[in-house]
Amino acid sequence: MLETLPTAFLYLLAAPLLALLPRGALRAALLLVVPVLAALQVWSLPLGNLVQVEFFGLTLDLMRVDKLSRIFALIFCIAAFLGNLYAWHVKDVVQQAAALLYAGAAIGAVFAGDLVTLFFYWEGTAISSVFLIWARRTEGAFHTGMRYLIVQIGSGVILLAGVIVMYAETGSIAFERMELGSLATWLIFIAFGMKCAFPLLHNWLQDAYPAATVTGTVILSAFTTKLAVYSLARGFAGTEILIYIGAIMTLFPIFYAVIENDLRRVLAYSLNNQLGFMVVGIGIGTELALNGTAAHAFAHILYKALLFMSVGAVLFRTGTAKGSELGGLYKTMPLTMIFCVIGAASISAFPLFSGFVTKSLILSAAAKEHYYIIWGILLFASAGVFHHSGIKIPYFAFFAHDSGKRPKEAPWNMLLAMGLASFLCIAVGVYPAPLYALLPFEVDYDSYTTTHVITQLQLLFFSALAFTVLMRTGIYPPELKSVNLDTDWTYRRLLPRLIGWIAGPVGAMFWGLDNAKGAWLQGLIVRLYHAYGPQGRTSQFWPTGAMVLWIAVLLGVALMVSYVS
Amino acid sequence: MANRPDDNPDKFPALGRALMWVERPGGVEKIVYSLYVVCAGLFAADFLYHKHSYLAIEDFPGFYALYGFFMCAALVVCAKAMRLFLKRPEDFYAPKDVESEPFPEDQLERVDYDA
Repeated sequence: MLETLPTAFLYLLAAPLLALLPRGALRAALLLVVPVLAALQVWSLPLGNLVQVEFFGLTLDLMRVDKLSRIFALIFCIAAFLGNLYAWHVKDVVQQAAALLYAGAAIGAVFAGDLVTLFFYWEGTAISSVFLIWARRTEGAFHTGMRYLIVQIGSGVILLAGVIVMYAETGSIAFERMELGSLATWLIFIAFGMKCAFPLLHNWLQDAYPAATVTGTVILSAFTTKLAVYSLARGFAGTEILIYIGAIMTLFPIFYAVIENDLRRVLAYSLNNQLGFMVVGIGIGTELALNGTAAHAFAHILYKALLFMSVGAVLFRTGTAKGSELGGLYKTMPLTMIFCVIGAASISAFPLFSGFVTKSLILSAAAKEHYYIIWGILLFASAGVFHHSGIKIPYFAFFAHDSGKRPKEAPWNMLLAMGLASFLCIAVGVYPAPLYALLPFEVDYDSYTTTHVITQLQLLFFSALAFTVLMRTGIYPPELKSVNLDTDWTYRRLLPRLIGWIAGPVGAMFWGLDNAKGAWLQGLIVRLYHAYGPQGRTSQFWPTGAMVLWIAVLLGVALMVSYVS
Repeated sequence: MANRPDDNPDKFPALGRALMWVERPGGVEKIVYSLYVVCAGLFAADFLYHKHSYLAIEDFPGFYALYGFFMCAALVVCAKAMRLFLKRPEDFYAPKDVESEPFPEDQLERVDYDA
């Protein structure tokens, strides 16, 4: 039975079951069982188009299983499991159902063999995930969720438009590799780009992810953007413009990350930067590069979730995730600190940690294809990500100046989730062969060469040296209670202001016109009333008898005329 | 790194207590000097093995070390300069933003060691 049921349906069918189960362990257990079952199913499925349905004359492919979709579906199952374990203590059924539906929609989208199915699940991820933000239940979270929803639904609508134009032009809805050039492919490209947080389309990510609940952010971090990476890898592999878009994506978020105070937003910026590496890999489009993108997405989901979990645990125990408010927590939350450092080492690509064996595939591909400037940018971004995610996050949360906060260690379920994620990060780094075996293409690559290990260590330790020197000389910018303007300023401030400015004069004009029209109409009515009203001039001295008299006169005239003629 | 006056480190987890040596006088210096030594060692390592490189620039001795150091320093200086234009008070977007809101207490589980 499991072979004929699309994996996504496992999640979607389990969500209503949640409401039937009593709140507590049973319900939390269901949230763990579903990803395990789904992962087992994905693991055992044969490759091929397994499930097809007819829909309004179109044939929809619900289960296209190949090596590319399988690795993304597997890591989504792992991320759902870890996220739900981390959220074991949550009693809020809205968040639990949203987590299941969201993961299910993301997996459904990954297995979609046609663009219509992709569209349905694409919108599914948008609608289900916003509840993880709204579940914070504050005014700010409501508005942030609304902004997030508008962007996500907007992406879906643009995707739909692209699909319709494509169907009209080619008669096909197959989700295969596309060539940029027609209106349809550009629309689809932009829809993917919005979800993938391309530069200037990125700000929904940094706006929304820090606004979600403690556990919601962990779940959000895994799916939406990596679904977009998968879609780009499927649809636009080898599209050169992606190399430059990706390079910019790796570059600008690291500057913001250095001055950002909210540590969960720092992580959102570094998430954006990591997506850039994957997008560059897609743009290069060689087998090595695409392997790099898939492998990096796999490793990234694990260490990014781990980092969000550790900062989330700090938030859970102290009520804040701001660098300016934290510090010195290592004394009472040492395990969380160690897990955070493991995540930091993984994202920074230290040897023996997961980032090292995955990011290097992309960098090598860039150098091999002679994109030297891009290679230089990626190298800079690698050093930068160590700087802000690798050092800044653990340093300001757990060390730096003592905040005087003495929170208790994170609860067992959070520690277990972080421990498992840490284990996977190290396992992938130490023994990458099983991950390499899952990649879409044959891997002939050894990341543990003397040159690679030493050069990487040089890069990282000298970045740490730069941090130390800047910190000790007082040049390093302190964490300040503040927000930084980003592109969201255009639609949160500039546009409303512009509309305000335009609305003033235009409104006054309409108001004036309206008034003038009203006055004129009023005058007309008064004049008519004066002339024809009950007391009006035309109504005076006109008894009914006068009309009878005049009719008699008229009839008399008519009679005389008829006699005469 | 000052302790709170009412601090009672005996109640901290053993692992946390074991790490508290970093706060003793000279603890930070120890870390910093070991970092200097590691960096010097890594720089010297460049002369001791044959580098497999794709690019000519990679063969420059200590290229990765210098690139890491100076690019990171430039990153921080640029970011600091960006603050001049981009920094706004925390309640800039309030009330339509979570930044200046307290996190809802019912979703937290605060436990303080010294409470």
